[in-house]
Amino acid sequence: MGKTIAEKILGAHTKQGEASAGETIEASVDLLMVHEVLGSRIIPILDEMCVEEVWDPNRILVVNDHWAPAADIDSAEIHRRNRDFVRKHGIKHFCDVDCGICHQVLPEMGLVKPGDLVIGSDSHSTTYGAFNAFSTGLAATDSAIIIATGRCWFKVPYTIKITVEGTIPEWTMSKDLILKIISDLGSSYATYQSMEFHGSTIDRMSVGSRMTISNMTVEMGAKCSPMLVNNHVEAWMKERAPHIEWKPIIPDSDAEYVEEIEYDLVSDVLEPIVALPHSPENGRPIDEVDEIEVDQCFIGSCTNGRLEDLAIAAKLLKGKKIASNTRLIVTPASRETYLQALKAGYVEIFLEAGGIVTNSTCGACVGGHLGVLGKGEIAISSTNRNFRGRMGHLESEIYLASPATVAASAIKGKITDPRRI
Amino acid sequence: MKPLEKIAGRAWVFGDNINTDQIIQGQYLTLLDYKKMAEHTLEIPRPEFVDRVQEGDIIVAGDNFGSGSSREEAPQVIKEVGIRAIIAESFARIFYRNTFNIGIPAIQIPSICDYVDDGDRVVIDIELGRVTIPSKQKTFETPPLPEVVREILFTGGAVEWFRKRTDRSC
Ligand code: SF4
Repeated sequence: MGKTIAEKILGAHTKQGEASAGETIEASVDLLMVHEVLGSRIIPILDEMCVEEVWDPNRILVVNDHWAPAADIDSAEIHRRNRDFVRKHGIKHFCDVDCGICHQVLPEMGLVKPGDLVIGSDSHSTTYGAFNAFSTGLAATDSAIIIATGRCWFKVPYTIKITVEGTIPEWTMSKDLILKIISDLGSSYATYQSMEFHGSTIDRMSVGSRMTISNMTVEMGAKCSPMLVNNHVEAWMKERAPHIEWKPIIPDSDAEYVEEIEYDLVSDVLEPIVALPHSPENGRPIDEVDEIEVDQCFIGSCTNGRLEDLAIAAKLLKGKKIASNTRLIVTPASRETYLQALKAGYVEIFLEAGGIVTNSTCGACVGGHLGVLGKGEIAISSTNRNFRGRMGHLESEIYLASPATVAASAIKGKITDPRRI
Repeated sequence: MKPLEKIAGRAWVFGDNINTDQIIQGQYLTLLDYKKMAEHTLEIPRPEFVDRVQEGDIIVAGDNFGSGSSREEAPQVIKEVGIRAIIAESFARIFYRNTFNIGIPAIQIPSICDYVDDGDRVVIDIELGRVTIPSKQKTFETPPLPEVVREILFTGGAVEWFRKRTDRSC
């Protein structure tokens, strides 16, 4: 029987050189990304484990992104511990509070390539599937073991194959597609499984749009979500990691899939989707969503804070003002994105429209700072989770949507179809 | 490996999709002291939980328990308030791993919520893979755990397991 992408990549990282779905294996990791959880939880665990040295300082990325710059004394302490750790162990890749969100900066730094096994101390580490990698999230204790040994045990996942054909219409985005898939399949549909993406739609997609999809597969419980390499990924690698060799990982034609699901966007035209509170699986076509008034419109996060996201929002907001009953917060995903947006004139458009542009951080997405919701407030957000209390008060509500829908809603002050602006 | 004692306690029953934000909200994650953080355990779905939970109690939940964030703080605060085992119809992947890593058994029983009410006594025998609800005269057999998970659990969590395996002390 042939192998899926997940089986091939995991197998290549084991001693025996092979892995099949259902097995439990030990694999060596190419890169580990840790953020504030290093200072808050991992360092104390390393102490308990009596670990004094890291396995390879060149294969660890430390990011201070969730509360960047520090929002309170506790987060300041966590950042300080991370900086000390980086210095003490000579960690090669460090992104302090000035540089951006982990899942954006890791690829920007050229730290993921096709075929890699990447682990992050964050559930949205599935994002790097966009680069034909096996990447997944683990928490503090497993990260500590990887810091010490570079190795980790895994259950080799079974794979669901998703094929998407057709084009994404104007003013709809890959975010609408993944919200639709999550709503069709449900929030635990892919638990412990790999979601392998195929089809012409995925093949044509920009790196950013692909990352949005891989980012959100974890909202269905997926362990990883590798895609095939496309032209955009090739160009990205050439630019970001020109001296690194890599080979695309292609699944065998007789690979075994537990399920094969097809989306045909030719006959079933994609519409803007809005996920109602309090689960990403509550997606509805925007026509079926009431024009609910919103207190906050947020564009940012590792899901949709990239240049193309800011570009579409700027296109809608150019020369317009946001409604007086709402506020617009834009948080570019990284310093690099911020600079590009600045040069492209987007930042000016947002400010002139009455929006707020913050530095690059997780910030509002995790209810940390720079846009926390108060009691009873309603937000429309380009982020990935609308769990109760996620962005602030437990009586606040979050509607998830694409950056285009968020921008359109900011102009009207209520949930609005971007195709109608 | 030390044998795991039988676990017996009162059940706290939760529904489907209790995600990590419901277990412990993001705003508390910068608290460095688990005791302080644990004061907010499960405060969104059941505000009275923290005041009434007792050492040795057991959580029984529906589908997809622990979905969402990778935060190990979620099982940690549950452990901190005295919960000794979690039974769910299904678990989210990272939460499942985290629970074993900190030495708490996570047991999957597909229709458990149909047979347990709040406050019922639940008896768990990990060695035998058996869960009993005496008041309902119901017994479930659970499939064996993967070897590595068993090892981690029976050594008392991944920290101990790692130290033993690598022969470390400090
Ligand atoms: S932007 Fe939000 S979802 Fe992404 S890593 Fe930060 S907190 Fe997590």
